[in-house]
Amino acid sequence: MTTVASAAPGASTVSWHHRHLIDVDVVSWPEIELIMRTTEEMKGILARPIRKVPALNGRRVTTLFYEASTRTRVSFETAARNLSADVVSIATATSSVTKGESLVDTIRTLEALGAEILVMRHSVSGAPYLAAEIFGGHVLNGGDGWHAHPTQALLDLYTMREHVPGGDLRGRKVAIVGDILHSRVARSNIWTLTAAGAELWLCGPATLLRGMDRWAGAWSGGAIPGHGRFNVTSDIDAAVRDADVVMGLRIQRERMQGGLLPSLREYAAMFQLNAERVSLAKPDAIVMHPGPMNEGVEIAPDVAISGRSVITDQVANGVAVRMALLYLLAGSHEPAHAEAAL
Amino acid sequence: MSAARGGARAAGARMNSTGPKVGETVERFELEKAWLVDPVSGREGPGEIVVTDGLLESVVWLEGAEAEGVTDEGVIVAPGFFDLHAHFREPGFEDAETVATGCAAAAHGGYTTVALMPNTQPALDEPGVLGRVRSAASAGGSPVEVLAFGAVSAGRAGEQLSAMGELADAGVVGYSDDGAPVKTPKLMRSALVYAGMLGLPIVEHAEDSELTAGAEAHEGYVASVMGLAGWPVAAEVDAVSRDLAILADALGDQPGARLHLTHVSTAAALDLVRRARAAGLPVTSDVTPHHLALTDEWIAGSRRWAWEALGKGGASRDPWADGALTAWPYNTSLRVNPPLRTAADAAACLAALIDGTASAVVTDHAPHTIVDKEVEFGKAANGISGIETALGVLLSLVDAGKLPLARAVAALTTGPASVVAAARRTAGIPAARPRGLTEGAPADLVVFDRSDCWTVAPDSLLSKGKNSPLIGRELPGRVLLTIAGGRLAYEDPSAADGDGA
Repeated sequence: MTTVASAAPGASTVSWHHRHLIDVDVVSWPEIELIMRTTEEMKGILARPIRKVPALNGRRVTTLFYEASTRTRVSFETAARNLSADVVSIATATSSVTKGESLVDTIRTLEALGAEILVMRHSVSGAPYLAAEIFGGHVLNGGDGWHAHPTQALLDLYTMREHVPGGDLRGRKVAIVGDILHSRVARSNIWTLTAAGAELWLCGPATLLRGMDRWAGAWSGGAIPGHGRFNVTSDIDAAVRDADVVMGLRIQRERMQGGLLPSLREYAAMFQLNAERVSLAKPDAIVMHPGPMNEGVEIAPDVAISGRSVITDQVANGVAVRMALLYLLAGSHEPAHAEAAL
Repeated sequence: MSAARGGARAAGARMNSTGPKVGETVERFELEKAWLVDPVSGREGPGEIVVTDGLLESVVWLEGAEAEGVTDEGVIVAPGFFDLHAHFREPGFEDAETVATGCAAAAHGGYTTVALMPNTQPALDEPGVLGRVRSAASAGGSPVEVLAFGAVSAGRAGEQLSAMGELADAGVVGYSDDGAPVKTPKLMRSALVYAGMLGLPIVEHAEDSELTAGAEAHEGYVASVMGLAGWPVAAEVDAVSRDLAILADALGDQPGARLHLTHVSTAAALDLVRRARAAGLPVTSDVTPHHLALTDEWIAGSRRWAWEALGKGGASRDPWADGALTAWPYNTSLRVNPPLRTAADAAACLAALIDGTASAVVTDHAPHTIVDKEVEFGKAANGISGIETALGVLLSLVDAGKLPLARAVAALTTGPASVVAAARRTAGIPAARPRGLTEGAPADLVVFDRSDCWTVAPDSLLSKGKNSPLIGRELPGRVLLTIAGGRLAYEDPSAADGDGA
């Protein structure tokens, strides 16, 4: 999408040209590598006794969350403060949105109030594209509907590369288990993990996999010979067997009311990531979850806190990835030389 | 209109007129060396027409040397178009459209007759509302003929029948709860029987609303990738099969029962209609320009026509893989009910139009305000402002070699007229608009130049509804002149300027 950004050509000279980050589908692999390198530098900052650098000093970051979120919002705000940005935080429950203000009017108001980088979460797929169309600054998507959660996919990728021997996901088996249909985390991970060359398996009850076969089959010549770009299955053992990474997704109670699942009990019996199932994965496999977890539903408590679990690493890496993206977006008019500016 | 300007248009066509204003009788208009299309006689070819005192005085078919150089790729004369399905929003939603602005837009699109849907506020469920629509039409001064459908149910609430008999006496041409399906099977049965008694059709928006609750886009690859709630094909197919079963049943009580399925959008539902017609059921259907030419991949940012998105074996190509995504995604002017479907469905709509399963192309012109459209995709109102772009979209199909010009013209004229022809006789509405190039009848025609493209833009649309996904696109077939019932309905502004009048 040329209107979103123009991708840089070679990896060696890659610089960041995206004004917004709404989804990872338009981000090239060299650009993903740039994000990973920048995240590495940000992790270096987080390891210092004083975690604050002046990179975004005086820049104004506004978080606009139309959906309840603790970890993602705090993660973004921590990231922005670590870079010395001024942070304005808006939760729609306490804003004019409850008086019926439209998204477009809210964005225009925030821009008039000086917002430069808008971190946005919204329950309707595509909402950040509408915001980006009218906002003069940068839009960073903190999750929209079922569509995309790019910072989550990037922190997941970073975390996987930290733990997978050699740091290369090519040919590594990644199983994502849960409510794929309604998951923006799964959708963004499809783009990054297939770009990384991973052997991706999506697994869940058939009612929560709807349409994914079509997506998998739409691409030929993918990572899995003779198949589409990724595998879609309701066979949890097949998905988890010999996996390098096993990721659980949150199962929401609403799915029962929608008639998509009989009960959480039945889900847990058939799909829960418990010790027995996880033991099918490789001995050094890691277990991930984007949170918040329903322990005892999609993941067993002992698995969540086991030695395989990197769930708290995901949270910590989330701050570094978001620092990297804020930094890259804020400087997207010029080539990124992170080290020099830090 | 100067002869010089006309001469510059294309292929030797020359126009002369006395320069009336909109609404005034066209006292004298001559067009030399144009391509005439007459769907009534089935004839098309080089010819000349003369309009005198609002009547089509002469139609001359040229042959031999006189016809030389006149092709079907230049200036074309066709009977005025008939839109069987439009929303002019009055009364109730005049900020989106009025009968006056709708008529102006219709004439710009080449239409001389429109049949309006009754989902106004209040709904057109009793004669008083029809009176308001008619008053607005005559006050507007446009010669575009305004017909109306009455609601099937009182208040379109789906519970009891509207004042069907009184509405018939007042002159509606049929009944529809469009915007929604006739709510229950039981009500549909009563409606078909009662309307059949009155000699009028039920026009059905076929949708299983339970299957589409919360739906945002056609359930398919595009919706899966974009995280949009799927709008299943089954929602249209099961509604159509329900309606066909009820129609077959209702015919036992009332042989005059007739069903018209509007804006059918899926290959599977069109197959059902085709089979029902073959079995002799009195059912007709129509398709829209947007379902013929646009697909769900436009929501992702593709801007290629449906026939360009068709891959090997009838499957859709992958816009994420082949570089087709060029526009900003989630454009709400693409949110429409029924939703834009796949390239294969669009091809099925075209096949249905060509084999007669669908007898008409209707615009489903659905203007909306910016307030209702400049919102998140999932919150946007459904509908496309389409009465001014229908001709250009059909001509794009003609240009691509997918649709014969004569079939396109028939789908805009005799096809839709036939759906309500019996109704008009019943309602005592004279067939004022002939839908053919008939000498001696009131002139009711459109002149357009197939070789002259125009750019769709908010300023170039006369409709209040700027919610067109074709904004920014060039379309073939600039309308030069529309004459409705012998009176001027639209004249291209460049022609008027050239006059110096």
